[in-house]
Amino acid sequence: MTNYLLKNACVIDPVNKISQEMMDIAIVNGHITEEPSKTAEVINCGGTLVMPGGIDSHTHICGTKVNFGRYMSPEDMRAGRAPRGNGMRAVSGYSIPTTYGNSYRYALMGYTTLTEGAMAPLEARHTHEEFRHTPLQDGLIMTLFDGDWGVMRAIANCDIKRAAALIAWRLSAVKGYGVKLTNPLGAEMWSWGKNVECIRKPIPFFDLSPAEYIQGVIKANEILGLPHSVHLHCNNLGKPGNYTCTLGTMGLIPDLNEKRQTAYLTHVQFHSYGGSGWNDFCSRAEQVSRMTNLRPQITIDIGQVMFGRTTTMTADGPMEFNLYRLYQDKWSNHDVELETASGVIPVMYRRKNLTNSIMWAIGLELALLVENPWQCLLTTDNPNGAPFVKYPEIIGLLMSNEYREKEFETVHATTAKRVVLPALDRELTFDEVAVMTRAGQARALGLLELGKGHLGIGAEADIAVYPIVPDKIDPAKQYAEIIRGFAQTKYTFKGGSMISRDDDIVADNQNRMFWCSPKIPKAYDMNNDPELIRTFERYYSIRKENYPVDEEYYLPRSIKIETETKL
Amino acid sequence: MRRITLIVRGSTNPFLPIEAEVITPEILCKTVRVNVYVGNQKMQLSEVFDIRVDGEAAGPSATEIVLIGDASRVKRVGEYMTDGRIIVDGDIGMHCGDFMTGGTIEIMGNAGDWLGREMLGGKIICHGNVGNYCGSDYRGGRKGMRGGEILVKGNAGDYCGESLFGGVIRVMGNADLHAGTNMKGGNLIIEGDAVMPCGDMFGGECTVFGHVDDFMPTFAEIGTVVENNQELTVFTGDLAHRNGKGTLRVGSYTRI
Repeated sequence: MTNYLLKNACVIDPVNKISQEMMDIAIVNGHITEEPSKTAEVINCGGTLVMPGGIDSHTHICGTKVNFGRYMSPEDMRAGRAPRGNGMRAVSGYSIPTTYGNSYRYALMGYTTLTEGAMAPLEARHTHEEFRHTPLQDGLIMTLFDGDWGVMRAIANCDIKRAAALIAWRLSAVKGYGVKLTNPLGAEMWSWGKNVECIRKPIPFFDLSPAEYIQGVIKANEILGLPHSVHLHCNNLGKPGNYTCTLGTMGLIPDLNEKRQTAYLTHVQFHSYGGSGWNDFCSRAEQVSRMTNLRPQITIDIGQVMFGRTTTMTADGPMEFNLYRLYQDKWSNHDVELETASGVIPVMYRRKNLTNSIMWAIGLELALLVENPWQCLLTTDNPNGAPFVKYPEIIGLLMSNEYREKEFETVHATTAKRVVLPALDRELTFDEVAVMTRAGQARALGLLELGKGHLGIGAEADIAVYPIVPDKIDPAKQYAEIIRGFAQTKYTFKGGSMISRDDDIVADNQNRMFWCSPKIPKAYDMNNDPELIRTFERYYSIRKENYPVDEEYYLPRSIKIETETKL
Repeated sequence: MRRITLIVRGSTNPFLPIEAEVITPEILCKTVRVNVYVGNQKMQLSEVFDIRVDGEAAGPSATEIVLIGDASRVKRVGEYMTDGRIIVDGDIGMHCGDFMTGGTIEIMGNAGDWLGREMLGGKIICHGNVGNYCGSDYRGGRKGMRGGEILVKGNAGDYCGESLFGGVIRVMGNADLHAGTNMKGGNLIIEGDAVMPCGDMFGGECTVFGHVDDFMPTFAEIGTVVENNQELTVFTGDLAHRNGKGTLRVGSYTRI
């Protein structure tokens, strides 16, 4: 393995409180060390920006619904075609590219860790197989528990420990990393052709309300001591006036963990809508961000919408049906046995559309109004808001008021009456951008202890070298250079190996999976639980013995995280 | 006026397609030293065709390309052409006249699938039959042919004018299954018979002078009209779709 020495690097490492300091970084055997190796290859960075490798805390890149997006939109593959060459495979696609396309494009942007935002447990094999073919990034998978019958029953019976044990069993079985709730209980109502109305109304047959369910799962998550908190996609996504529901959900969240947040609310842009219908649709980002500022136990990601063509995909089946009725185009819907649901439709966000313009503004407002960047992370909910290749543009918008004003002139003329964006003149610094794109994610996902998201001694050498010299650039004016700089690194290192140099991909097979397996005492081991076995025999299409994902075959390079539980 | 005559050589493997998107007046009026792919092998145009060039070049509008011999596996002829003229003496392969915006293509024999796919303007005349997806969109697309004219003197295959968005397609023979599916505009005229046309039609106008087999049940009859001394029954639909506002006129029909 080649060792490296990065000289004259302008380092930003928010975790170790390093802000634009000129340093040398030594990489030995895949880790950052004090002393460089004698045989190290020296790379002169010449004062360019060096940050930890980027981490995407919520993206949809692998899994059955991504793949179904590919099935139903063959026209997407007409864009983004590149032939093979220089060790790269041929790729195609724009909003839902091939797995190699995803991996290469993320690597060129300096990203080294990716989190699949939602995996139906039953579809785990497919998801792991796609991650195996995402060669340049480590993978984490959020596992869906939004309509899990066993957990729902346990929480309805106020048996949080049993819920925790069931979550632990399923996480270890499908090799997931964290607990994701998508529109909690919505999938169960969707199997009756309905949806939940906000968080207070109990659903029939289970006599359980989304609020109780969210609180129960949060407690179970903390009992299991999982590195990541509950990953929550609130109810009522995309409905005008849903901000009240979001605020209500935020109010439910206790502060149970010292190291990180207690709940991670994802793509909050889609949950910050005011108005009573599409005619008086408006932004309520102020209220939502104020609530976030007041509650440090919450971390959000923005889920920014950018204009252009993309594909929406979520486990929120009823929401996708509403979108389908709006667009009258292709639609796919899926029900995953006792676990969850999903829907996929292609969409187009247009500047000349008032609703889309407001959505675009809300994401930026959230990023600018949440004071603490550790609490507000940068995502597009790829590909729901926009494909991840738009991240540099979003960074440009957040760092330059001038660019925002210029873009604001091109959107729908009456947008200004519905949003507060023109009144915001905050411009993010490089340090804040570093928090919102890597350090904040590492803390939120609990990856700091695994040596990710920072450049301290002993950390994994995931490093992005951007061709930007922070001393010589004024991001407020030179936003075009900022966008270009963040779009393509000079070098990207992953685990000490160089994976990209300029626009070339120079490595393969660097990926690993992280997954959690809480240590469960015998009394709570669900392997021989009669009720779980009965559920499988009675309702599932496969047997319980065939349910767990085989580690040797599906996760050849993986890191198992065993957590101490309070059961 | 420059005339470029391309005679297909028999020497290349007859099972391999020839990707000949360079055969357009814009490119060949400048040079004939261009490459084509035969299978996955890059070859000189002159290795695949015998080339004869007559006259002086004066831009694409004064250029005529004549293809002689069996060109039924030569694909993408006239792709993105803007002006000039292509004459195909025999049959032509798939994707002839894709995305064309102007000029004329005249095919003396039969044409393959995807003739004039997503074309925007210009004119294609086919004296023989055409394959499937004449004047349609590509897989997953939403807009097919958007302008121009396709005239087919023989029969058309399946999915003729799928997702038609503008322009005119006139088929003088019969059309096979699902002509005009997903039509959103434009004009599709079939002088012979058709089977199950215009499913999921949003807009546009389709006329079938002959007999329609398996007529879709989701069209509402709104009257009759006489055209070319023939009485046609007029329908509107497709009512299975919320915004179905297409017009379908048929000579006679039997319902599914």
